[in-house]
Amino acid sequence: MSTMDNVSHEPVCIACPSCDLMFDVSSLGDGETARCSRCQHFLTTYRKDELSRVMAYAISALILLILACNYPFLQLESGGLQSMMTLPETASRLWDYKMPGLSLIVAAFIIFIPAFILILVLVLVGALMMERHYDWLRSIAWLIFTLQVWSMVDVFFVGVLVSLVKVGGMASMSMGVSFWAYAVFSVLFIPAVYGLDRAQCWNRIEALRGS
Amino acid sequence: MSEALITATSSGLASCHLCLKLVDSKLHHCPRCGSAVHLRKADSIQRTLALLVTATALYIPANVWPIMITDQLGTPTESTIIGGVLLLIDMGSIAIAAVIFIASVMVPTGKLLSMYYLCWSVRHAPPGTVNQRTVLYRITEFIGKWSMIDVFVVALLVALINIDNLLVIRPGAAAIAFAGVVIVSMVAAESFDPRVMWDQVEDQVENSDE
Repeated sequence: MSTMDNVSHEPVCIACPSCDLMFDVSSLGDGETARCSRCQHFLTTYRKDELSRVMAYAISALILLILACNYPFLQLESGGLQSMMTLPETASRLWDYKMPGLSLIVAAFIIFIPAFILILVLVLVGALMMERHYDWLRSIAWLIFTLQVWSMVDVFFVGVLVSLVKVGGMASMSMGVSFWAYAVFSVLFIPAVYGLDRAQCWNRIEALRGS
Repeated sequence: MSEALITATSSGLASCHLCLKLVDSKLHHCPRCGSAVHLRKADSIQRTLALLVTATALYIPANVWPIMITDQLGTPTESTIIGGVLLLIDMGSIAIAAVIFIASVMVPTGKLLSMYYLCWSVRHAPPGTVNQRTVLYRITEFIGKWSMIDVFVVALLVALINIDNLLVIRPGAAAIAFAGVVIVSMVAAESFDPRVMWDQVEDQVENSDE
């Protein structure tokens, strides 16, 4: 990782996205975070082991998401009657009720966009770790940072907890393998995706292209 | 603020919104990531306002139409967002009622109001409040997606509660309108450029220096 370390020693200026002040963020040490001195907006964090961390979280998160899509999510039992659902059914049942738009939105926010981002992160971080440059790396990074806002894994999981309490009063509920897999997935997804620092990531891509 | 504070704009540089690279403000595309580069987000206030009006309009059907229809032994009962909250209070689930009320009523209305205020504030608010307004913007941007909770709860209940002829929950049209409110207001928050608030402060400082 010798060439990677150089990245942080060249002067690198970035402007605060919130108030436009310029800062040199090249002298950050391992684990240090730069914030805007005027409006306290987060600028960047430098971590030596950023890539391997992100890689580890992303692989685990992707495996858990695959598990979550293939096992029962929640089961309901009331007066001898049973009803079971899987995670993809959260979206597909809406389709059955003639709401294809909403069904696609839900599927995108909780499964497709998170899965797509994780695959892109694996490809990007893999290439950065091996220090290989490809022209399409910047398209991949562009997609990751553009799609980030549109994954609602954490929001969905709070929704699951709310539904559990809502229904829990009238019937007995049991959580399937998929439920626990998604619970852990929603925790790992955050460091897997937001652990990739925007400024550092693009500096690395630029350094690879230059070398 | 005694130290010299230099903005990117005053140095003829524009910050790429996607990869944060500082590029010559005469360029149209970022040489590093290929995104379109603007000194400030294009027509920030107009776009934000247009999207806010759209979100506000969608918020009406989202509250008037039923968000969920419960068929119990063949008898349908429609419930709206507010109706659902009231029902939960009746059932004694105050905590869940509070979560739904905060996520589906307070967050979206609060978000719309604070975005309207921020757009108005660019020209009219005292420059001294710019720090608080930046914090307000950051909170607004962060909480936006959390209003999707109610839509997800409806999707989950629809998928889960489906016991033929006994108890079936169907999604109502308000769910689509409400998802629209959340998505459009998220786009509105993204098209707002907080730097225009700071530009106003710098203009004032320059004017007072002359």
